[in-house]
Amino acid sequence: MSKSVYYHGGTLVLRDVDAGERPPAPFKLIRERWRCEGYHYGSIQPYLQEQDVRDAVPRWQPLNLHLQEMREPHDYQVEALAAWDQAERRGSIVLPTGAGKTFVAIQAISRVNRSTVVVAPTIDLLHQWYARLVNAFAAGVGVYYSGEKKVLPLTVTTYHSAGDLMAEYGNAFKLVIFDEVHHLPAPNWGEAALMAPAPLRLGLTATYPEAHEQTPGRWRVDDLVGPIVYTKRIEDLVGQQLAHYRTQRLRIDLTQEERARYDADYALYTGFVHSRHLQRHHGPAWLLELMRLSAIDPQARRALLARQRLLQLLASCEGKFTALEALLREYASERVLIFTEHNTVVYDIARRHLVPAITHETNAAERKHILDGFQTGHYRVIVTSKVLNEGIDVPEAKIAIVLGGTSGAREYIQRLGRVLRKVENRQAALFEVIARKTIEESKSQRRRRQEAGSAYG
Amino acid sequence: MLTADLVRPRLHLRGSELSIDMLEERDPCWLQSAKDLIDLLQEQAGQSQTAWDRALESYVGERVDYVVVRGLAKILTDAATFTPLATPLPPIQLRERLFHYGPVFTSPQLFHPQTRYEVMKSVADELSISSEQVETTLFADRPATYLLSDAGPQWTPAGLLARYNLELARGVLYWASHITIEVASNYKDLWKFIKLFKLMFWAEPKQGGGYRIDLDGPISPFVSSTLRYGRQLAAFLPALLLCERWQMHAYVRPPQAKGETIYRLDHTCALRSHFKSSGTFDSRLEADFANEFEQKMGGKRGHWRLTRESEVLLLGDTVMVPDFVLVDTKDENRRILLELVGFWHPNYLRRKVEKVHAANCAHLLLLVYKGLNVTEEAFQDAASQVIFFQQKPVLKEVMETVEEMAERIYGPRTKPERRSKRRRTPKHSRSGDDPAADDQIPL
Repeated sequence: MSKSVYYHGGTLVLRDVDAGERPPAPFKLIRERWRCEGYHYGSIQPYLQEQDVRDAVPRWQPLNLHLQEMREPHDYQVEALAAWDQAERRGSIVLPTGAGKTFVAIQAISRVNRSTVVVAPTIDLLHQWYARLVNAFAAGVGVYYSGEKKVLPLTVTTYHSAGDLMAEYGNAFKLVIFDEVHHLPAPNWGEAALMAPAPLRLGLTATYPEAHEQTPGRWRVDDLVGPIVYTKRIEDLVGQQLAHYRTQRLRIDLTQEERARYDADYALYTGFVHSRHLQRHHGPAWLLELMRLSAIDPQARRALLARQRLLQLLASCEGKFTALEALLREYASERVLIFTEHNTVVYDIARRHLVPAITHETNAAERKHILDGFQTGHYRVIVTSKVLNEGIDVPEAKIAIVLGGTSGAREYIQRLGRVLRKVENRQAALFEVIARKTIEESKSQRRRRQEAGSAYG
Repeated sequence: MLTADLVRPRLHLRGSELSIDMLEERDPCWLQSAKDLIDLLQEQAGQSQTAWDRALESYVGERVDYVVVRGLAKILTDAATFTPLATPLPPIQLRERLFHYGPVFTSPQLFHPQTRYEVMKSVADELSISSEQVETTLFADRPATYLLSDAGPQWTPAGLLARYNLELARGVLYWASHITIEVASNYKDLWKFIKLFKLMFWAEPKQGGGYRIDLDGPISPFVSSTLRYGRQLAAFLPALLLCERWQMHAYVRPPQAKGETIYRLDHTCALRSHFKSSGTFDSRLEADFANEFEQKMGGKRGHWRLTRESEVLLLGDTVMVPDFVLVDTKDENRRILLELVGFWHPNYLRRKVEKVHAANCAHLLLLVYKGLNVTEEAFQDAASQVIFFQQKPVLKEVMETVEEMAERIYGPRTKPERRSKRRRTPKHSRSGDDPAADDQIPL
């Protein structure tokens, strides 16, 4: 009988190799079969050849894509790709945020020209990759995540869904690209990398995890993706990608009726939290404790409901819509991005002002259509919930309006950095609309203090 | 499927033992809540998903048992169907056209001479529809606007509570890395569902009958705490409930536990499956054969007893559950397996033949329909006996062959007590993990 190796759900399995034989180390005898994780595929090649083991693993195929992008790569991008080639196309490229990592990846896909899967941290980034790849190659691109599952030779997925994709189609891809590769050590995030047999791998990040940061996980990024092949620091790129902008806070008042509701709910909610000393006894976990209590204690339940009403009120209080309208009228000729965390508010605004909305409900194609339309001027305004937070390219936007400030400082700063990419030399502006004398003010204050120490000060 | 936030508060940990706070299915309070919710959903017929969410929210009100109420409602919602409103044109086309005019305002202004009203009106006119239709079409593709078109099965309050308990148990299995089960009887459905949910099994025959089965997935040996297969294990649970006698140990890592916990369940639990067990017969052919046997050879008329699918052949990477087992009533060790190969798709047959080859099983008798494009040669290498038939198997011929086989394998039946007990269950444990492996059931 002839020996062979096949792919099964993230593992490589030897067929017709007896328990008595000794295949190389990664193989383990499990339930009478020799089996190892998919990522050893490259390293077992010598064994397969020596022992004349038929290789039934690869199902990848040529892409035959033609790069549409005419943009010339920067010198450092050329260097990075050369270094990756040198390392036999395994390893990570470390570039600062905004230095064109996606562009590097597109070049890499074009060079390899075999079926490729890109793994992105969030659905939003997946959508961004989708749009970039469609534009770069003018070809169909698959997406695989909770909302849509369509697998093509060039497919984008999320870390969350990548495991399922690998279990089913792992051997259909010769190249895997890990966007924000520093996520890999996280307990569930590395599994897909472990399962994939793809011999070619590219990691992209601005912040490669330190050795000690890799230990909490069960695997090291170097083992799964290869070593760092190229690094460029932010200092080396000064002047190329920095943006200038100003921020402005607009404080609005609640109406009398809103104020009365707010005060009542605030008293109910904080009254309970204080009376039970939740913050003192539970520290940062006090909110979790409130939620736990709310399933037992009617008072806690009322406090939690009061909190929910209060947040809802702040999200949709009249003053914010009035302020928004004023800003939209003022910047009538500018491209404007509106952020709010609440989905229903997004759709209210979309309906009220007839502007396109992007939320987690928006599928990849429509999302791309809206962002493209924004760029060409078909649309002047986009309203979106928190989905455009991280790493979304909207280079045309010069005005950003944030309604309500309930998100964390880090997220907020990332929003800023993203919206305000340098286009020509025009100054960008970010408006934050918050309700006076509410919990929003204190949150906004806290954030300001944290920002003071950041690069964006 | 219940979401984690609806399951987690219902769990209890004692050491590493995990238990679930299930509902008492006869508790009048819960029955009342279940009834209220069922009625509430019925009332929402033709209303939007958002309306149902709101109605639910106001029903829950300040109740502290909202986790349960929402859980019950989730089950109702999952089983109900919400369908999008029919629109004069696809909403996305309308949006593309309409949003080109945005931002618009209720009152005109220098840069925005057209008011919202005017824009809506002109687009409506261009499309020859009313402004109201424009409003309703605009986001008609959002699930929130879908209308309740079918409230799902006819729930009874007790049925809903029972299903809720089952879903809690499944919810726990979401966090399972692997499970072990022991089953004593009627496993046919079990194998079917293991295949269906793409799980890997490792089965060992148990002394005294039945099997001990480990269930996990291919990556499990390398990432022992993986929760990758939790979803499949959860989906599989109702299949286990179809068995008569069983016990299960699930190795679970719920978010509130530090490490691995064990969740145990066995056939004494009150959970009921909503899966259908396969009917008594897969085909008319089988039913007819069984009937004819009962009439002519059943009871005291012969010394063979015909039983259904009680034996499992673990073949290489897959399983085979022969349709019938003939057991000699005078000596239970004398058994002949019967497999009827009826009218099936050629691919199914091809795999069947491969299985039979792999089985290399001397006490298996195959009854093969002649009209099929299966050549007699295809079965030549099989250790098994083959009888071909035209319309239906000829019982007389079958039983003669059975006698011959029994004599050849077990010796003359006059002195059965002297025969050594031969194992017919496979000597080795086998696992089912080949992606190419076939299922008994063409899916």
